[in-house]
This record gives sequence, C-alpha cells and structure tokens, in this order.
Amino acid sequence: MTTLLWTIFHVLVFPGLLFCVVVGVLLAGLDRKLVARMQNRVGPPLLQPWYDFLKCCGKETIIPRHARRGLFLAAPIIGFAALITVALFIPVFSYSVYSTSADLVVILYLLTAVGVSMIVGAAASGSPFAGVGLSREMVAMISYELPFVLVLLAVGRMAGEGSPLGVTFSLQAIVDWQTVNGNLLFHWSLIPAALAMLFVIPCEIGMHPFDIAEAETEICEGTLAEYSGPPAGLFRLTHCVKMYVMCALFCVLFLGGIRTGYAALDALVMVGLSVVLTFVTMSVPHAVCARFKVEQVFKFYWTVVAGLALISLILVWLGL
Amino acid sequence: MIFTNYLVCFFLVALGIYCMVSQKNLFKITVGMGLVDYGVNLLIVSVGFRSGGTAPIFNISELTRSSFFVDPIPQALTLTSIVIGACTTAMTLCLIIMLYKQYGTLQSDEIRRLRG
Amino acid sequence: MYDFMYHFPVLAIMALFLGAFLNSLVGRRNAKVRNTVVVLSMLAALVMMLSLVKPILLDGNSIVYWLSNWAPVEGWAIGISLEVDALSLFFALIVVVAVFVSGVYSFFYMDRDDSLVNYYTLFLMLSGSVLGLVLSGDLFNMFVMIEIMTFTAVALTAFRNTYEGALEGAFKYLVVGSLGSTSVLIGIALIYSQTHTLNLAQLAAVLPQADNPVTILAFAFLFVGFGSKAFLFPFHPLAADAHAVAPASISLMISGVLTKCGVYGIIRLGYCLYQNMDQPFVQYFVTGVGVFSMFVCVTMAFNQHNFKRLLAFHSISQVGYVITVVGLGSALGLSAGLFHAMNHTIFKGLLFLTAGAVQHAAGSLDLDELGGLSKKMPHTCALFLIGAASISGLPPFNGFASKWMIYEAAFQQAGETGNFFFVVVCVAALITSVLTLASFVKVAQSVFFGQLNPRFANTHEVSLGMRIPMWILAVLCILPGLFPDKVQQWLLTPATLAAVNAPGYIDAAMGTGYAAQHGVEATLSAGFGMSGAWQPVMWLLLLISVTLAVCIVALLGSDEKATVTSEISSSEDNDPKYDSFFSGEASVYSQVGGSDLFWGFKHNWRHYFSFMHNWHSGVVNDYTLYGAAAIAVALVLCVIFL
Repeated sequence: MTTLLWTIFHVLVFPGLLFCVVVGVLLAGLDRKLVARMQNRVGPPLLQPWYDFLKCCGKETIIPRHARRGLFLAAPIIGFAALITVALFIPVFSYSVYSTSADLVVILYLLTAVGVSMIVGAAASGSPFAGVGLSREMVAMISYELPFVLVLLAVGRMAGEGSPLGVTFSLQAIVDWQTVNGNLLFHWSLIPAALAMLFVIPCEIGMHPFDIAEAETEICEGTLAEYSGPPAGLFRLTHCVKMYVMCALFCVLFLGGIRTGYAALDALVMVGLSVVLTFVTMSVPHAVCARFKVEQVFKFYWTVVAGLALISLILVWLGL
Repeated sequence: MIFTNYLVCFFLVALGIYCMVSQKNLFKITVGMGLVDYGVNLLIVSVGFRSGGTAPIFNISELTRSSFFVDPIPQALTLTSIVIGACTTAMTLCLIIMLYKQYGTLQSDEIRRLRG
Repeated sequence: MYDFMYHFPVLAIMALFLGAFLNSLVGRRNAKVRNTVVVLSMLAALVMMLSLVKPILLDGNSIVYWLSNWAPVEGWAIGISLEVDALSLFFALIVVVAVFVSGVYSFFYMDRDDSLVNYYTLFLMLSGSVLGLVLSGDLFNMFVMIEIMTFTAVALTAFRNTYEGALEGAFKYLVVGSLGSTSVLIGIALIYSQTHTLNLAQLAAVLPQADNPVTILAFAFLFVGFGSKAFLFPFHPLAADAHAVAPASISLMISGVLTKCGVYGIIRLGYCLYQNMDQPFVQYFVTGVGVFSMFVCVTMAFNQHNFKRLLAFHSISQVGYVITVVGLGSALGLSAGLFHAMNHTIFKGLLFLTAGAVQHAAGSLDLDELGGLSKKMPHTCALFLIGAASISGLPPFNGFASKWMIYEAAFQQAGETGNFFFVVVCVAALITSVLTLASFVKVAQSVFFGQLNPRFANTHEVSLGMRIPMWILAVLCILPGLFPDKVQQWLLTPATLAAVNAPGYIDAAMGTGYAAQHGVEATLSAGFGMSGAWQPVMWLLLLISVTLAVCIVALLGSDEKATVTSEISSSEDNDPKYDSFFSGEASVYSQVGGSDLFWGFKHNWRHYFSFMHNWHSGVVNDYTLYGAAAIAVALVLCVIFL
C-alpha cells in the first residue's frame, strides 16, 4: 500500500506531474521575461504561460472537418504523458525514482515519441499548414538527433570506464560515476560534447532561432495551426515542461556529481541550474538571433554541432 | 587435363557474366545466363572426376573396396542443376515474350520504368 | 518428445508441396475446394511446427530425420537429412506464421484476379520451399530450395502481368537472382571438391579444419549467394522492383520470409559451418555489408513515390539491421538479430498488408496522389500506425525492443573491443532509425492524413477478412514489445544457443563425439550481459498512469466539454469554423505531396540523392554488374584477409 501511495506521489507530485509543470511554467515565463528585458521591453508577467494554459482550457475545442477526431485529441495527451515519463526516469541528482531502468536509448526514444505525438496530432488535423509544420518538425528532429546520439555515446563511454562492459547506457551508472570521479563537464575531452548538447537543447524544444516547425509568421504555428482549447493548452504546457526536462537531462549527463543528499535541496539545485541553462541556451539565442531557415538548421546541426560531439567521442575513445 | 576443365569453366562463367553485363538485347542476356550455368555444371562434373575411374554403375554385390570409379554425387548434382538451368531459361524466355508484348522492345535500357 | 514428432518436419514440408499439387489437380473445378486445400495444408504446416516448440525450443532437443533412413556410415553422411534445431525451428515458425497470414489475406485480397489456382499452387510451392530451406540439413538441398523459391517468387511477382512494371520487376529479379543462385552453386561445388560431403553437420565438423584458399573462396561465394537472397546491398534494387509490383500478399512473403532465408543462410554459414564469426575480418565484412544496406536503403526510401516501393527499401534497411548485429559475432548481437528478424517479418508484413488494403480499396499506391484516407479507412489507418510505430522503433512496440538490443549489442561490442568501427555502427543504426521514422511520417501524412483527394471519395474500408490477418500481425507487434524478456527466454535464447553450439549440431546428426573427434568446440560464450535495462511493462504502467493523471486533471478543468462535442456533431456540416485554416481564404483542396515533405533535409543531400537516383538506373545490365562486382569484391577481400 505504501509503495502504491509512493508511486502515485512520484507520478503526480515529485518528480512527476506537479513539479514538472510548476518548474516548466516558471522557466518558460522566466525565458519570456529575460528575452523581453534584453530587448528593452517590460515583458509579460512571470506566470504568463500558466495564464495562457488556463485560458486555453476555458475555450471551445474546435475539431476541423478534415481531422481524424480520436488521434487529434489523443496526440497531446500521449505526448505529454511520454514527457512526464521521461521526467520520472531522470534522477534529481541523489533522488532517483525509476532510474534502475532508465537508459539513454529509452530516454532518446521517449523524447522522439513526444515529437512524434505532435507530428501525429498535426497530421490528424488535416491542415496544409500543419502538413508543412510536421515536415519541418521532422527535419528538425533529424537534425538534432545525430549530435544528440554522438553526445550520449561519448558520455556512455566515459562513464562506462571501469565497468566490465566498458560502456554504459544506464543513467544511474552515469550519475554514480560522476559522484566518484567528478562532473563530466569538467573533463576537458567532454567539453565539446557539452557544447553540442547546449545546442541540442533549444532545437529539441523548438525554441526561437530553431522554431522552424511553428514559425508563426510563415506557416501560422505549423503543427499547432488547427489546435484550439484544452488540447492546444496541453501542447503549450508540453513545450514548457520540455524546457525543464531537457535542462535536467543536461544536468544529469554533465553535472551529475552534484549531490547534497537532501531531496529538497537537490531539487532546488536542479531548478537553479535549469534557470542558468535556460538563460544560456534559450533566452540569449532567442534575443539575438533571427529564425534559421529549414535547410540551415539541418546543415548547422550536421556539421558544426555534430562535429563538436564527434570530437568529444573520438577523444573519449582514445582514452583522453 | 582436369586443369583445362577448371580453366574452361571459369572462362565460361566469366564470359557469361560479361555477356549479361554488356549485352542490351534480352535474348543475349538469356544466352549469358545459359553460359554461366554451363560453366558451373562443368565445374561440378570436373570436381567429381577421377582420372581412370569407371562409370559409377554397380550392383550392390559388385561393389568392393577396390572398385575405382568417378564420384557419382556431382553427376547427380549436375543433373539437378541442368534441370534448374532449363527452367530458368524457359522462364526467362517466357517473360521476354510478354515483356516484348508490353514494351514493344527487346532493349534492356528501354525497359526501365522501375528505377530510382 | 513423442516418436511420431520426428516425422513432423518432413510432413510439414510435404503438406505444403502436396497442397500445391492437389490444388492444381482439383482446384480448377471449384473455388471452395481450392481454398479448403490451401487452408488445410497451411494449417497442417502451422500446427506441426507449433507442436515442435515445446520439445525443441523449450526442452532443447533437436530432430534429425534421415530420408529413407540412410543414416551415416563410418562417419560419412551418405543420406539426405533434415536437421531441426532451435535455430531452424525459430525461422520455421516465422515462415509458417507469415505463410498462414499471407494465405488468409490472399483469399480476400485477390478476389478480383483470375487464374487463382496458379496463384495458390505457386504460393504453396513458395511456402514449402522456404520451409524446406530452413529445415534442411543438406547444403545442396538448400540450393534446390533456393531455386524453387526464386522461381515461384518470380512467377508470383509477375502474377498480375498487366500491372505496370510487373513483368519488368520479375525479369530483373530472375536475371540478377540467378547470379546469386549461381554463386551459391559455385560455393557448393568448391566445398564439395574439398570435403566430399554436403551434409551440414559433417561440413561443420570438417570445414573449420580444412582451411585452404578453396574453402575461403567458397565462403565468399556462399556469403554473396545468401546475401543476394536477403537482397543485401548491392542486390537491393531487385527487392525494390519486385516488391513494388507484386501482389501485397506476395510482398509480405518476399520481404518477410524470403529475406529471412538469406539471413538464416548467413547465420548457418558464419556460426555453424565455418565458425569464423569470431574473426575480426568476418565481423567487419558482414557488419559493413549490413550497415551499407541499412543506410543506403533508408535514404533511397526518401526518393520514392510508390507506397510499396518505399516499403521495399525499408524492408532491406531492416534486414540490414539484422545482418549488422549478426555480424558482431556476440551472443547478444545474434539474439538481437534474431529478434529483429522476427519483428521485421511481423511489422513489415503488417505494413505491406495495409499497403495492399489501400491498393485494394483506393486502387492507387501513388504517394503524391493519395491522402486523407484515414476517415475512409479508420481500421487500416490504425493498423498502419501500429506498424509504422513498430518499424520506427517507438516504445512500447516490438521494433523498439529489438532495436534497443541492437544498439546495446553494437555499443557493447565497441566498449569491449575498444574499436571505433562499432561506434560508427551504433551511430548509423540510431540515425537510420530516425530516418525510418521520417519516412513513415511521410507515408502517414501523404496516404492517411491531410486532405482527401476528391478522386478517392468513394473509397471504403476493406472487408473483415482482410482486416483479421492484419489485426493478428498488429497484436504480434505489441506482445513481443511488452514482454521481450519472455520472447528472449522462450525463443531467442534457445535459438542463439543452438546457433553458436556447433558441436551440438554436429553430434545430433553424426553421433555423439563426432565433433570432439574433429576438434570442433563451441567458439562463442553465450553471455547476455547488458549495459542498460529496459522494462516495458513497468514503463507502460507509468505511461498509463500518467495519461490517466493528465486526463483527470484535464477533465477537472472543463465542465462544458460534453455540450461542446454534441454541438460539433450537429452543426459540423455547414459551419465554416470547422474548415481548415487558410489564412482567411476560402478552403480549397490542398495536400502537401509526399515528395515535397522534408525539403530541408533533401535539399542538403541533393547531390547524394541525385547520385543514388542515377545509380539505381533500372537497367538490368547495371544491376547484374553490381552483383558481379559484389562477388568479385567479396572474393578479393576474403582471399586477402582470411
């Protein structure tokens, strides 16, 4: 009974639904505020994303005539659920719930599933704008996947050092290795990989310079063109939570050694680091860059970013 | 002498493949396939050949330790292979006839609706 | 094991061939008689193979059946044998299940075709030959079965001979396929010249010791021959041409079953006959071929406009995965390969059947023309999505479970050997998976979603008889994904152990001690160490609970939802607010063509794509040249490095 209650607590409160949503909304609000300040605007209130979500929930859900009803409504829920599941797998430093079965490949694919749910939702809406949007979303996904994979392999090799198999995919093993041997961010051979990962974060989330899939000015929010009411709100919430999840993943991969031993304190540290990461990877590029073109994103990620990650992978492989 | 056989059979196979690669006419391609087949058949028969051996046809009572005959298994294999080769040829020719009816040509580089 | 079970392998093969014979004898009179014969022979094979699961897979026995009871004399196998160990039975199960599903589907799918007696005769012969190949214990019999398989497959490819390109595809398949068959035959002749036997068990005992240039050449010939039957690079254009034009039920057979025969041949060749999978060169070679196949084919799929042709390229891409991990030479790799081979048959079969359903209902397979069929064919759409999610490796479907094992195996091999090559393999596998996903997003968007082309306004969902086989495959897609540990325990581990246990295979046929006498030992240790963990059931429970939580939270917020939905259904027909958004313009038919999706990606790779487009020229001479070049390269490499 206690375990069941604990499971419910984990799924619903910490580190699941409630925690993710709160932190995600705060991060998104903070990002908007920071960008506004950098552009010399006042900016919306900190909780604006939450107000947006509430407002969406109060609106009517219009299901377009060409849409495939069930999928159209199910896609946001599945995507959101997959994302929360990822959050459950990511250890908050010392506080890990399901990290025994957490595995880099599983996380990679669950993040893909989040993207796919958005794609399926867009496809099910039957709108031509959504068609263009989903194709761009897919191109973005192909773009960041290569550097992402290279980073994960480099980390897996480094943290698997000393284990009988020589490599590891287990997130817990990576965290444990860092508590003993120091954070991976400060191993010089992994610095390029960390840089590459910093580039992967905004593209995975679809933040401004890389938001080719939504591109309001060109294709009317692309994948979200037909969404209205609660489903649209849920997609926006997914977007916010993804910001937290990606930042947390970076923290675990490269700064996993930070461990105070107290869950609450760890969570606070995680949130603090996420704020810093949000500022570095999302707000600054958002404020200073114009949106990339589709083919530029692909080229940038498969040459520059993938190159950085590859350098790390080779260095790690050479035992440096 | 058996060495010549090996030379000839690899020559035949090579010739057949060359024919299949270089000739655009579908019938010539079929001829190439036939050549490859014959080359391989010759190879199998040569593998079983033993200089001075008799034909492997015996009653069970006649068979002794000292009887010296060519290996019968490759001959059986060759028979199977010849039958298969004949089937291939028949099937190819059959397809060629129907292809000619549909495409109106026997040139392989004009029969390429499926590509890319 | 009961005694009569020893006859099951040969009876299963005979049931199918006898069915073919009876079918052509009596089937012409009456369609009912014909169908009964077909169903009975398929069922007989299915039941016999299933009944062997317990004794062979679970209890670890194996069946050696000497035809006419010609048992070995003085250590020489003079008779022809069928040898069924766990590996053979594993592939035989794949074959009989696929045959059964395909056969049942054909009854409804082929209802507009004539001369169906010929179809079913050829179909049963194809099934029988494939079953014969995987159960055979004799190398030459394998060749004969390969030839029967090729002929019947060619004939069935050309079965709808008025269909655009059917004859052309069949002709290319026949010509270039004969090159592969010839390669196998030359390999057999060379092996026979050195060992004077063709029994697989005896060869497995003799060949590893007879290490001379001739047997090495034979290895190269046999590898290319079996590779050509699995349509590996550079034989893949054949598969694309044949799949695209064959009836969908035959595409299932070609992609799900025929390619598996090639895979089976390569596993037997490397792990059992030559036992040289532990040599680095063989690992590089086989894995390299696999990586090339999977990557080239997945990119080729981006260029396609035909639904089934696209699936065909993916089929080879997935077989490339299988060969890649089979080539790693580790027990984990082999079991991952077997798992993926099994899954590939299931999900690719499902996809081909949905393609067939679309073809049957809408009469077109053109990706640039179709669209919006999900409202007309909801079941087919759902089935397609299941298949697409499986092949793209999304959790919790079966494709994810096996792909995850593939990454594990590749990465682990890299970690153990410290060799960067295997890291590249792992990265290529992961990237191929994303590209696969992209490709299926393209299909989903351009066939099932988007707007309905007015031309297809009269399309209806296919009959129940066509949907049932598809649902069977869909369930088979989900179950192994949820319980991979059970699949591992019941199917993969026995099959893997059987594949690496050459002495057991030899002794079963030639008598105990024969392997030891020839100095054959099990080369691979059968460790299944993993560097991560994957518990799909737990994950699924999490997902469900999170989904429930989200639903509850979402429902708490909206009380008016019920009224909103009822309004929609009543006023949907005329209210313009339910039109697609067109920036304020009037709504018109507009569908993004399949080939225009992913422009940003294709634009960056345009040189590669145009090169590949020209390379797959469609001229049979070119394909023969690629095949001949493959043989030549394999020969040269094997002679230099082995």
